Amino acid sequence: MKHTLGCLVAALGLVLSALPALAHHSFAAEFDIKKPVTLQGVVTKIDWMNPHIWIYLDSKDESGAVAHWQCEGAPPNTLTRQGWTKSSLKAGDQVTIEGVRAKDGTNTCNSRSVKLPDGRSVFAGSPDDGGPKAGPSSQQ
Amino acid sequence: MSALLGQSAKVPTPTGTAPRTPDGKPDLSGLWQRPYVPDMTKSGRGQQGTPELPFTDAGMQAWKSYDAAQGDYTGACLPFGLLRSMNSPDPIQIMQSPKYVALLYEQNTWFHVIPIDKPHREGEPTWFGDSVGHWDGDTLVVDTVNFNGRTRLDTIGHPHSDALHVIERFTRTDAGHSAYEVTIDDPKYFTKPWKNTRTFTIRPDWEIMEYSCEENNKDLYEGRVKVPQH
Repeated sequence: MKHTLGCLVAALGLVLSALPALAHHSFAAEFDIKKPVTLQGVVTKIDWMNPHIWIYLDSKDESGAVAHWQCEGAPPNTLTRQGWTKSSLKAGDQVTIEGVRAKDGTNTCNSRSVKLPDGRSVFAGSPDDGGPKAGPSSQQ
Repeated sequence: MSALLGQSAKVPTPTGTAPRTPDGKPDLSGLWQRPYVPDMTKSGRGQQGTPELPFTDAGMQAWKSYDAAQGDYTGACLPFGLLRSMNSPDPIQIMQSPKYVALLYEQNTWFHVIPIDKPHREGEPTWFGDSVGHWDGDTLVVDTVNFNGRTRLDTIGHPHSDALHVIERFTRTDAGHSAYEVTIDDPKYFTKPWKNTRTFTIRPDWEIMEYSCEENNKDLYEGRVKVPQH
C-alpha cells in the first residue's frame, strides 16, 4: 500500500509537470465549475481505459450512509508515459478526491486532486482543460 | 524516481544539425511531443498564441453563441479535424517520403496524408480538409482547404467557417526540434489571417500508442455529453 501510494504521488507530480489533458472533450460541456465536491472514501474499482481513466469509490456522507461515486481522470496513455501502471491506484486504497461535479447531478466528478492518507495532496487534472487549477479547497 | 516508477530514464534530446533524407530534404520523421494548445489565444511553453483574434461580426457571433453543453463533437468521439488534432496533447508520428508526408496522430489513432507537389483534389468537404504540401527551401508548407465546417479550432471552442484555409509550416531546426507555424485564414470569421508558432521536440524514447476514444466513453454513453446537431 505504502509503495503504491508513493508511486502515485511521484506519478501525479510528474503528470502535473507534463500537462495531462482533458483534450478529448470540453470541460464545460459536462462539469459545473461552481459545484466543487470533496470525497473521502475507499477505491472500489479503476477503469484503466481510453479515453480517460475512471476512479470508483465508496464515500460516506455526513449521516454515515455510503454513496457510490465515479471520478474521471487523465488518459491512460498520458499516465503510462509518466510511470503509472494499471495497479498504481487500486481497489482498497483510501483517498480523498477533490473534484468538480457533473452538471447532470449524478455522483460523477472530474478529479482535480487526490489527497493521500499521509496528507499529501497531488494534482490530478489538467491545468488547461477549463476546470479549476487545483482542488476546490485551494481556490480563492 | 524512475526506478521506483518502473519507467526507463528519459533519453536526452538529440543535439546537432537537422538530419536529411537521401533526397536531400530535411527529415521530419519521428515521434514528436508537442505543446497542448486548448486555447489558441494563449501562449505558454513552446507555444505562441494570438491574444486578440480579429473576428468579423459573423465570427464573433459564432464564438459568443458557442455552448459545448449543447453538443460536443469531440466528446462524442467524432473526428477532431485538423486543428483540434494538431492542438491535442498527444504526440504525432511523422512519416515522410519524396511523394507523401503522413501525420499519424495518437489522438484517437487518426492519420492524415499530404501529397507533395500535387494540386488540391476536388471532392466533398471533410473533417480534416484536403491538404497538399510543397518544400519552400528547408520548410515543408502544407496548404489545407475544403473543410466541412463542423469542427472547432481548439478545445475551448474558437470557431471557424467552411471557408477555412490553413497554412502550416514545418521546419526541422536541429536534431531535437522542429518549428511549427499554423496560419488561420478564414475571411468569413476573421478580418485577417492570424497564426500560432510552436516548438516540437522529438522523443526517440517513446513509441506511438493506441488510443480508442470509443472504448469507454462514459461521458457520452451515460448522457453527460450530447452529440451536436448539424
